[in-house]
Amino acid sequence: MSTNTVPETFSIPVGPLHVALEEPMYFKIDVKGETVSHVDINAGHAHRGIEYLTTKRTMYQNVVLTERICSLCSNSHPQTFAMAAEKIAGIEVPERGIYLRVVADEMKRITSHLFNVALLVHLVGYETYFMHMMQVREIGQDMVESIFGNRQDIGAMCIGGVRYDLDDKTIAYIKGAIDKIEVETKDIIKTFKSNGSILRRTKGVGVLSHADAITCGVVGPVARASGIEYDVRRAAPYAAYDRLPLVVHSATDGDVWSRAMVRLEEILTSINLLRACLRDLPGGPTNINDRPDIPPGQAVTRSEAPRGEVIYYLRTNDTPQPERVKWRVPTFMNWDGLRFMLQDAKVADIAMIVNSIDPCLSCTER
Amino acid sequence: MNFLTIFARNLKQGPQTEAFPFGPAFTPERLRGRIEFKAETCEGCRICERVCPANAIRFAKTPDGMTFDCWHNTCVFCGNCEFYCPTDAIHQTNDWNLAHANADKFEMVEHGLIANQTCVECGATALNTAPMVKNAKPPLSSEEYSEVRARCPKCRAKYLKNRKVPA
Repeated sequence: MSTNTVPETFSIPVGPLHVALEEPMYFKIDVKGETVSHVDINAGHAHRGIEYLTTKRTMYQNVVLTERICSLCSNSHPQTFAMAAEKIAGIEVPERGIYLRVVADEMKRITSHLFNVALLVHLVGYETYFMHMMQVREIGQDMVESIFGNRQDIGAMCIGGVRYDLDDKTIAYIKGAIDKIEVETKDIIKTFKSNGSILRRTKGVGVLSHADAITCGVVGPVARASGIEYDVRRAAPYAAYDRLPLVVHSATDGDVWSRAMVRLEEILTSINLLRACLRDLPGGPTNINDRPDIPPGQAVTRSEAPRGEVIYYLRTNDTPQPERVKWRVPTFMNWDGLRFMLQDAKVADIAMIVNSIDPCLSCTER
Repeated sequence: MNFLTIFARNLKQGPQTEAFPFGPAFTPERLRGRIEFKAETCEGCRICERVCPANAIRFAKTPDGMTFDCWHNTCVFCGNCEFYCPTDAIHQTNDWNLAHANADKFEMVEHGLIANQTCVECGATALNTAPMVKNAKPPLSSEEYSEVRARCPKCRAKYLKNRKVPA
């Protein structure tokens, strides 16, 4: 054996910063040549103590605090939290309120999915199209800012309903904006189906088989791209989803391309849901216009965030502060799937595969 | 839309970035920005102080009355105070321009004073808050309103109780 032989396997660190998003997640990857042979996922780099903070704030302050857990699912967190509080206190949200909850939810879903797919195009290396997609997303961001007053922390939810209302002017504005996004999204889907650069980099890459998906218990678009037709909006309808034309999209390949396609198709469904909501929007109050004390009790609620199922557990006592708030976020389930997706992948595809689960570390490591 | 169409459109539209600070920035009407406080309409219920998640709002008793302070550098612009305020005494303007020199950081405060007054009935010193008469039936006339307002809380309750309500 000569002295200048190179070892067959290397161990390379990926992260803890700048894997796909600027969030802390560390992968210790053993490579054999250019191929990944083993992945070690190391999480827990950031701890913000938000679960503890919730027990130091009142229920009504916590609606705002939970919104700030994550900026891309900043509607799903307070909504699920408010749903838990409403379940304990037996509050019934007015009809108009539940429709407006869907409106807020779907608007955030559109911008979140567009962001993730745009990042995928960026990681593919197609910068021009990334810029174009972010510009399409900007139509949605301007819409969110014009309706709610903030681009990310929309402040739409409150315990007992929603805080905002729509009038004829804003409804017409939303309709105009979603028409624009719809045309552009259909075009993006066409590009995703035909563009050689995107297809070559994403087809058959980072495959999560149906069986592995069940083993990992993945949720959201990651599960749906592997053929698991599971969507909380259909499995356990909340807000007004039981009377809206919800279509659950799924694919069978389970690769990066399928996950992007599921997201793009969900944008079109979200647009249809928005249209149906704006058409059927009932009159009346948007919230209960009261600040009732939440009695002692506990509740578990769940909703479909853009990344998948988010579950909230809330326990209250005699004080205005909750005794315990605990949430399980979609990324916690989905990053287990990375072990299977990254197996035998090329080193150059790691960032793209990580991005394809739409990781949200700020939700997961709070 | 093929690439050439996008290219032609972008060429015609020019850069998508905003010209700020050389031009106006996109500011929607509903933008949740700087807090504005109107002491005249404040009931002094202090609900804004309780629902503020950042503890940016503080009320304090002073010899002149009750002061309201909202620290803009602590405020998270969530709008809970405006939402729960029963009299719209707090309003979130769409002014987002809060950049300031570090030396001015303690001046980034929205300040208000609910002054003391002498009750016209009993002569006690009490706060000149807006009366909580939203649910009074029938609604108060403007003379009645100012009469209620000039009284202390105890005399206000007495006034409203003894108010002649037409059958």
